[in-house]
Amino acid sequence: MTSLLEKRYRRVLRMLPASYRAQREEEIVDTYLQDFDEYEQDELRPTWREVASIAALAVRTRTGGAGAAPRHVLAGATVRLFALLSILLHGARELTDRALALAYVSGAPARDRDLFLGVFDGQQGVLSGVRETLLWLLPLCWVAAYAALLRDRRRTALVLSVLAALPALMFAVDWATGGPVRIDGFDIAFAASGWLTVLALSCAFHSDAPAARLPAVRPGLALMAVCVLMGGSVVLWRDGADSVWSSGTVCVLAGVLWWAAALVRGDRRGRSGEAPAGEASAGGAGDPAVPLALALLSLVVLAERTGMLALLVQSRMPASYLYAAGAQAAVLAGLVVALGVAGGRLARRGQAPLPTREESGALE
Amino acid sequence: MASRGLTQTAFFVLVALTDEPRHGYGIVQEVDALSGGRVQLRIGTLYGVLDRLAADELIELDREEAHQGRLRRYYRLTDAGEAALSEEAERMAEGARTAARRVEGRRGGATGKQPPAASPPHGHVRPGLAGGGA
Repeated sequence: MTSLLEKRYRRVLRMLPASYRAQREEEIVDTYLQDFDEYEQDELRPTWREVASIAALAVRTRTGGAGAAPRHVLAGATVRLFALLSILLHGARELTDRALALAYVSGAPARDRDLFLGVFDGQQGVLSGVRETLLWLLPLCWVAAYAALLRDRRRTALVLSVLAALPALMFAVDWATGGPVRIDGFDIAFAASGWLTVLALSCAFHSDAPAARLPAVRPGLALMAVCVLMGGSVVLWRDGADSVWSSGTVCVLAGVLWWAAALVRGDRRGRSGEAPAGEASAGGAGDPAVPLALALLSLVVLAERTGMLALLVQSRMPASYLYAAGAQAAVLAGLVVALGVAGGRLARRGQAPLPTREESGALE
Repeated sequence: MASRGLTQTAFFVLVALTDEPRHGYGIVQEVDALSGGRVQLRIGTLYGVLDRLAADELIELDREEAHQGRLRRYYRLTDAGEAALSEEAERMAEGARTAARRVEGRRGGATGKQPPAASPPHGHVRPGLAGGGA
């Protein structure tokens, strides 16, 4: 007869993928129940430590850990690439934002400069000065997290990402402490994008995961290119009310075009027989993880755009801003669907061998 | 795995399989005994480690048995697992020897004896100045 403890434990095991449970469930249950006498099994529940260990195993097997099914291996590769690209985007955005701010302040009229510096110099109290300085500096940890992750310093990258994402939660801290705060959809989307990145980083970069690698491009060059794209779009669209955020769209679009061009080039070479063996290897243009990760990234930027659009509508901004923000949201929504479909097709066609522990980063 | 080295848990699981094939609960008990109760394997952790060791071909399935209507799998150490364990044990032994030498040197310094020149008692001595001259 099945005891209550066994029933409860089997309920916990439902966190594991069905394919994993089909192989392991009976064995795991047998191992677990050995520790308990039969007469006490109706009075006990699995401890939270046991539940946590199964949850960790579930995350690991769903993100390509040892023993994971092929689709979970693909899911892991997708989430890892998303985390890396998202950290790159966040880092470049913060770097560009501060570089532009400093460039402006250095040439700004004295009154504007004093206004900017006054926030940090403790005129409104030392605590306020420290807080504002931290809020200004901490997001730059995204850049350090990017460097750490590409050097395979996973824990360092995680700690730095958490530090970088903290300022986005200040509105929640202000709200909880009764401070003056106005929470809008944009704030929530902004905080969510940072913390989703942290979550992806912590879940997918387990000990079985391969080191993070950017497809085809050097990490420093990628950071510089994204910064140039962001800075360029801000300079070209000077009057944009949310110019820094709009540049996220530009970068995602550039990434998608670059991937599509590489895919077409790979197809041509494949048809003409020029493609070397392993052209569509893991991390390559034919790897379904690439469009799927770009789809996730587009979805995150779309959430930010939608939040900003709502804010612009509330603020009664001129119609041109609304149309621009709406057009960006529409483009991003289209990208999410197109990339999702493309990734799904590539995965089904099985053009690429699924990513392995030795997954390559070469796109060429 | 080899490039990252064995985790403490993986090390103890391999040690637990050196003398005979064991099933999951047998491994949990043996690791508990081997580590003097310091390493208590949760089930999720155990199966994560078993999956990884099997994927790296350091362990393999020995046999399957039915136990109270449920499946019980026994695992055994492979030759590659034995080699990895031996390498890790040697690495740890080397670390232990180094630590012992340093502790010995520190005690020597505290009692007025001169520590060996190659292993200064504290990390405060600059490498280029070890043995005097400053």
